[in-house]
Amino acid sequence: MRADGHAPGRSAPDGQDAGELLRRCARDLAEVAEDIRSVSARTGGALRAAPLRASARRHPRTALAARWALLRALTHRHGLGGSATTVPKGVARAFGAGGAVPGRESLAVLVGLASLRLRIAALLVDHPELARDPGMRRLREAVDRGRDPDAVRALRALFRDRGAQRGLSGLAPLLAALLALRALLEEDPGAGRTGRPFAARRGPSAASPDGIGAARLVSVPRSEGAAEPVGLTDQEKQFIATEGSFLGFLRNIEVLSSNGRILVQNVRGPDGVVRYVVQAPGTAPGRPRNDSPPDYVGAWRELFTTDSSCTRSILAALKDYGIPRGADLAFVGHGEGGTALLNLAHDAEFCRSYRVTHVVTVGSPAGTREPADPRTWIAHITNQHDPVPVPDDRNTTPRLDPHPHRYEVAYPGPTREFPLCHMLREYIEHLRTVVPEARERVDEALAAYRGPVVRTRAYQPRDRAHPPEGHPFLTLPTSPSPTTVGPVEVPVRSYDSAVAHLCYPVRADAARGLLPGGTWLTPSRLGRRALAVLSLYEHRCTTIGPYTEIALSVLVDDLWRPRPYDLAVDPLRRADLRRTGRYVLCLAVTSEEARVVAREIWGQPAMRTTAEADLTGRRIDVRSRDLGLAVTGRLGPGVRCPEADWVLYGRRGESTVRTLVRTHGRPRLHPGTGVRLRLGTAAAEPLAGQLRRLGLDTARPLFVLACPQFLAHRSAGALLPR
Amino acid sequence: MVTESPRATTASAGELLARAAMLRADAGLMDGCARKLLATAAALSGCAAAPGGTRPALERQAAACTTAADQLRRAARALEVHARAGVGKPGTGPSAARR
Repeated sequence: MRADGHAPGRSAPDGQDAGELLRRCARDLAEVAEDIRSVSARTGGALRAAPLRASARRHPRTALAARWALLRALTHRHGLGGSATTVPKGVARAFGAGGAVPGRESLAVLVGLASLRLRIAALLVDHPELARDPGMRRLREAVDRGRDPDAVRALRALFRDRGAQRGLSGLAPLLAALLALRALLEEDPGAGRTGRPFAARRGPSAASPDGIGAARLVSVPRSEGAAEPVGLTDQEKQFIATEGSFLGFLRNIEVLSSNGRILVQNVRGPDGVVRYVVQAPGTAPGRPRNDSPPDYVGAWRELFTTDSSCTRSILAALKDYGIPRGADLAFVGHGEGGTALLNLAHDAEFCRSYRVTHVVTVGSPAGTREPADPRTWIAHITNQHDPVPVPDDRNTTPRLDPHPHRYEVAYPGPTREFPLCHMLREYIEHLRTVVPEARERVDEALAAYRGPVVRTRAYQPRDRAHPPEGHPFLTLPTSPSPTTVGPVEVPVRSYDSAVAHLCYPVRADAARGLLPGGTWLTPSRLGRRALAVLSLYEHRCTTIGPYTEIALSVLVDDLWRPRPYDLAVDPLRRADLRRTGRYVLCLAVTSEEARVVAREIWGQPAMRTTAEADLTGRRIDVRSRDLGLAVTGRLGPGVRCPEADWVLYGRRGESTVRTLVRTHGRPRLHPGTGVRLRLGTAAAEPLAGQLRRLGLDTARPLFVLACPQFLAHRSAGALLPR
Repeated sequence: MVTESPRATTASAGELLARAAMLRADAGLMDGCARKLLATAAALSGCAAAPGGTRPALERQAAACTTAADQLRRAARALEVHARAGVGKPGTGPSAARR
């Protein structure tokens, strides 16, 4: 509750929902920003109108007065504010007034910024959990700068920063607003065409200022969608449905969604006719993409064009599958996959080759376009709390003219938390328990596809225009490793992580006491001291999803031939040749998948917890209420140091598990004086007990090895017979 | 030697007058924007979830819209004067017109 008596997320005083009020105001402001932009464009057009230029030679005095008045209207700091693109370069130079005046931004941009701020606030009212999202954190840091021009500059920098764009791409509910503002900032003029939802809705706006756009759009490398047939693992084959049904198709997508594979199936219908079902997954937040576009936010915009790489990949898969012309096709997709399939259904040329009978999307934006074939039956199923399919105006009211071939369900699901409310697993559960009538209705519509599956083939989409994400460091051979939550690809790859290793000298006997008894593990010593490391990770994008990790480890000697001063010498060797390593005493992670992988693949004593980490700035802040632990502080001056590759040790039965962690970033070594670990009085075992026994709760780290952004891969654990 | 026909001069003056009319319409649009911004600021005044400083920022922007509207009207007037100067004395400069 705030001092003014209002709590975030509650109703506004006049009784209306605060989120709805903020969204409505954000929409109004976006319209105003678009109006101001178009006025600026028209004023700029008048300034460089050919008749004015031509007549200036005949009537220089009145022409000068008119041009001066126009330029003043366009660039005055208390008026439209001017912009580099609306003022012709020559004129601006001649009059000494340009758009790019330091410390000044155009009025349209400032109003657009206000709109974005309101939209962020509205999203956080409905989804306060998004405040912890790394992309959201960076965005808020930018827009909450003190002065508006500072905020605009920070936003420009953010749009240019590729590392930040990955985080922004996870903010699906805000991407339309970000694109609109970026168009105003003229970072990407092309974004205006699809990135201004409000302008588009209100009809064509004024022509954009001369010359921008086309050339720059052409220079952006086009995506080249492709798809390669890939095999399914034995475990996956067990989960693939053998009978056609709506939930069966969705479960297929869920099985293959881990790396974005597309599935094509032949189904023999009740009438004996073989038909085709194409199933496409969405992109899961916090997991890598198959491609690595230079501009993630722009890639989102492209998704809504018929020519998107995702749509082309599906086309390539259909071509390889060998579907005869004129065959009946049903499309089932989730999120991005649903959008790509809708694009295909809108493509008149595609619909002349094949008969798209059904398109069923789950958690995808519905759009307003009609399919190329009017007979195509379209169903959209969305959770009202899922911000991805209803990103802008939450227009979930049924259409006034319900189309006989369109079925839309927007239900209030029990899950509000994003990204959980967007996950396919949740949608499947809701279709079973919350809206079973929707499942029945779709199954009824798909009656011709309800029969035995006679052929199944999976395709891996590729984008040849862009290198795979993390290339070349993370382009590695991988293999599935079985776990109780399904197969996991190893090495586990992290595409965007931050870390702070807090290194403490501790008593060697205390460290020895925490290592498993009856093993060959002994702590490495420097004199009488051993070294304990409290590692805090923020994994923003990994192949096992995003998670936060808190690990306590002790440096241990070679299992077979421990030597004195190994601790000093071994780190100088290549990581794969090292014999020493860190034995993980306790590991707390925030996702179930990470916990299972750590336990079953790396042999580490992992437990599930809740934690929030911010390790991207000079000030680090990691808190876990469950563990009763907080690490806060400011990193002092640091020096660059070599890549911090590690060997981690765990235990499985009577064996030691050795895991190799390779990293690629720019780690820095900081003094540990500014950082402090705090344990609550009710701090939970086992981590708190171990920290106390090592004396870390009262000590300050000797040094902190920190890296705000790095790539990493962790191999599967190798069993050592000791 | 290049000469300009009176018809061409009239056409360009017509276009300039059309631009001036458009600027006047845009001035009206900017007044509308100012009203919208003030209405939004008022709507947000009781909303605790609104970011701090939104209201004064919107009021500043509304004032800027009003200023822009005035300047656009002024520019429209200047453009009209210039267009009429061209139509009144085709082929002559303003100094000739004053004579």
